[in-house]
Amino acid sequence: MIELKNLERSFRAGHEELWVLRRIALTIREGEFLTIMGPSGAGKSSLLNVLAMLDDQWRGEFFFEDLPVHAMNRKQRSDLARRRIGMVFQSYHLLDDLTVAENLDLPLTYKNIPSKERQALVADTLDRFQIVGKKDLFPSQLSGGQQQLVGIARAVIHKPSLLLADEPTGNLHSAQAREIMELFRQLNAEGTTIVQVTHSETNAEYGSRTIELRDGWIHLDTANPPA
Amino acid sequence: MGEFVSGNYFRTFGLNPHAGRLLNDSDDVAGAPIVAIMSYDTWQSEYSGDPSIIGSTFWVNTKPVTIAGIAPKGFYGDRLSSTPPNFYLPIESMPVLANVGYVHDPEANWLYIFGRVKPGVALGPLQEKISAIVKQMKAPSKDFAGTRGKELLAKTHVVLTPGGSGIQEMKGQYASNLRLLMIISGLVLLIACANIANLLLVRGMARKTEMSVRTALGAMRRRIIGQLLTESLLLAFLSGLAGLAVAYAGTQMLLRMVFNGAERLPIQASPSPIVLGFALLLSLITGVVFGIAPAWIAAQAQPADALRSGTRATSSGASLLQKGLVVLQAALSLVLLVGAGLFSQNLSKLQHMDLKLEAKNRYIVHINPQAAGYMAPQLEAFYRTLEDRFHAIPGVKKVGLSTYTPMEDNNWGNGLQVQGQPAHVVGASFVKTNPEYFDSVGTRLIAGRGFTTQDTAGAPTVTIINRTLSKQFFKDANPLGHHIGFPESPGDYEIVGVVEDTVYQSVRWTDHGMYFVPMMQRPLSSKGPAEKDEGLYAGAIVLQTERPMDNIESLTRRTLASINPNLSVVKFQTFDAQIADQFTDDKTIARLTMLFGGLALLLASVGLYGVTSYTVARRTSEIGIRMALGAERSSVVTMILRSAMLQAGIGLAIGIPVALFCVRYVKSQLYNITNVDASVMTIAVMTLAVAAGLAGLIPARRAASTDPAQALRME
Repeated sequence: MIELKNLERSFRAGHEELWVLRRIALTIREGEFLTIMGPSGAGKSSLLNVLAMLDDQWRGEFFFEDLPVHAMNRKQRSDLARRRIGMVFQSYHLLDDLTVAENLDLPLTYKNIPSKERQALVADTLDRFQIVGKKDLFPSQLSGGQQQLVGIARAVIHKPSLLLADEPTGNLHSAQAREIMELFRQLNAEGTTIVQVTHSETNAEYGSRTIELRDGWIHLDTANPPA
Repeated sequence: MGEFVSGNYFRTFGLNPHAGRLLNDSDDVAGAPIVAIMSYDTWQSEYSGDPSIIGSTFWVNTKPVTIAGIAPKGFYGDRLSSTPPNFYLPIESMPVLANVGYVHDPEANWLYIFGRVKPGVALGPLQEKISAIVKQMKAPSKDFAGTRGKELLAKTHVVLTPGGSGIQEMKGQYASNLRLLMIISGLVLLIACANIANLLLVRGMARKTEMSVRTALGAMRRRIIGQLLTESLLLAFLSGLAGLAVAYAGTQMLLRMVFNGAERLPIQASPSPIVLGFALLLSLITGVVFGIAPAWIAAQAQPADALRSGTRATSSGASLLQKGLVVLQAALSLVLLVGAGLFSQNLSKLQHMDLKLEAKNRYIVHINPQAAGYMAPQLEAFYRTLEDRFHAIPGVKKVGLSTYTPMEDNNWGNGLQVQGQPAHVVGASFVKTNPEYFDSVGTRLIAGRGFTTQDTAGAPTVTIINRTLSKQFFKDANPLGHHIGFPESPGDYEIVGVVEDTVYQSVRWTDHGMYFVPMMQRPLSSKGPAEKDEGLYAGAIVLQTERPMDNIESLTRRTLASINPNLSVVKFQTFDAQIADQFTDDKTIARLTMLFGGLALLLASVGLYGVTSYTVARRTSEIGIRMALGAERSSVVTMILRSAMLQAGIGLAIGIPVALFCVRYVKSQLYNITNVDASVMTIAVMTLAVAAGLAGLIPARRAASTDPAQALRME
């Protein structure tokens, strides 16, 4: 599904160039549940942003479902990401002045889906995630776990083939975290490819494969253990 | 130009000479050697401050005049004028220098009176006392004879007004315009205050964390408010100082605009303690008033909220108060833009009015035969010579002579009556002219005949009236052959012709009755000697040429000098320039309203830009999330722009009815404009909308260039 070849990313810090991703070569197959681990500053979130096509300042080759992302312009990348990728954030990133239903509707409004169809999708998702009773509440009226549930629901409402999650349980207590990870497992079982960034060994166990980044290099890949 | 003043003129104002001496009572005595005081500006600009000017002899209207001294620097006379006097001469020298006979005529009203009140004297009783003296003086006058005259005399009274800023009549004339400018300046100040308040609010919110830390460290709310208010006051004080520098540079620009074309500015824009005090006080008040709300908001900071790291909520944009202030600015700007539009439309309307005259290839030459020494019996021959000599210039088509010309802000008038219709008295203006005058100014004869060379002093007295006077007296009947005249002698003149209603004193004064009389004819009833009749002197020559003539001014000067070396040109202008001069006030008001309207628009745009930029900065993470969820750049631009345009739109919704309502307060200063024209409103709305669009577009584009990865990392 995803193939990264010799992908590199750096930031300018004054006169120096700070490398966050070095010669990344990575293949992610459809249906995989990949966990990216590593210490702070290892390049986990940077790699996730590249996969999410939120960042386009990298060098190298990036194929998404055999489409060459590296050859696309910004608009083409946005279009592809909008259709095929969903994203879950550590800080949930719900819009505070929108209700739960409106937050779910938000990504659909960017896809020019007719209003009636959107309403149906929102209703289905509320039902599927069992948050119908919360649809008119604002994020500030929900607990952290409930907010992340809405965040995941929003990420998958348009049925993406790839779900990216950046520390999805980082702000939750263990019981809530477990529920969220079970939800990921279920989504993966239903066919969604998942890439999560986490510090938690427990969360990593929900995945089928783990890679570990250190100083921007892939240090370990459980699919290709060192000989 | 000179001004005739009394011997105690400078003493009354408490002035001291810059050099030499000023006038005194002994100078203002008939037969005394004629002396003059030169203005400081004239001394500097014309004679480079040469000290030998004092005591030297100048020739004024062929008579020797000694310069006794130089008026103090910064003294521009007793009224605000773009042409302040160059010389001050004693009133008693008027009969000699200006050859006028009315100086000691108690019936003639031609002087302005300034007085200096003794300390401790109340104005009320003094006013009564002077009123009694004036009544006593005027009682024998023929103007107050008869029952009606006595009634009028009983009502005659004097109003004393402070003379510190010049003659009251002048102040009255400009009062409405000055009031309007004060209101406009006030509105601009209000817009600026709204802007300051917004900036302080932004600053207050940006410092919420700092205030939270201070609160957490034990600072009392009162102390925080005090600190923020002190900062506001300091800011206001420094802004006030900076504003003063801008104001003095701006004042020069405004004065140049108001006295457009004047050689010297008749006002010294030097710092005055009152202006300094007012400006600083106003900036301090602004600082306190508009510093209180932001200080209060900042002081409400909850330490726990503000200090909590890693906030999970997205920040909302600008507060309702901030948006409200932008709406206020937009609304006020629209009102000022509509005002600017109305005054521009007014100017255009006035300038394009059909004045019923022809200005093409016409030149106005103002002369003063009296000053050149001509006596009344010499005038008829003098006028014939003038006509002949000017006709002899190749290219000159018509030579008109008149007491005054259209659009030169002059008016001679009296009450008129038709012989046989005693009950109907109409006020009308009159002009004395020669036969070619009507052709020279382009006034069309619509009935009867024009004047001829046979209409001399000894010929039957005739008049030509304008269409309005004809309608007023005769409605649709034929006026030719009827006699009109002063109410006491209605048979003075026989009407021999009717002309179109050429505009004379002002474009705003239309439908006004006028009558024209041959230059040398006097009313049958006139009893005074012809030698003393001021009305026989022509004040202007109107030349119509076949084509534009660049050298006509030098030819005119040469021709006049060849007739009489003392006959100088008082003023030479094309007819077009003379007409344009009448629009100076309207042009100034239009320019000033446009300037203030533009300034208001700029301030409102800056305000909207500021608030939108602030909103974008606050909503960076939200914009990042939206973009991460698939929002396109265009949708981000639209979202931010929509918010900016909504504020401008609400401002318009408030501003439009307010502007429509406010027209009633300025319509007295507009000509035939009682409502806001759709085009004026459309242009004002479009201007504001475009400015708001631009002010919103810049931050909107910045928002659209948000890097979602970076925006999310900031969380």
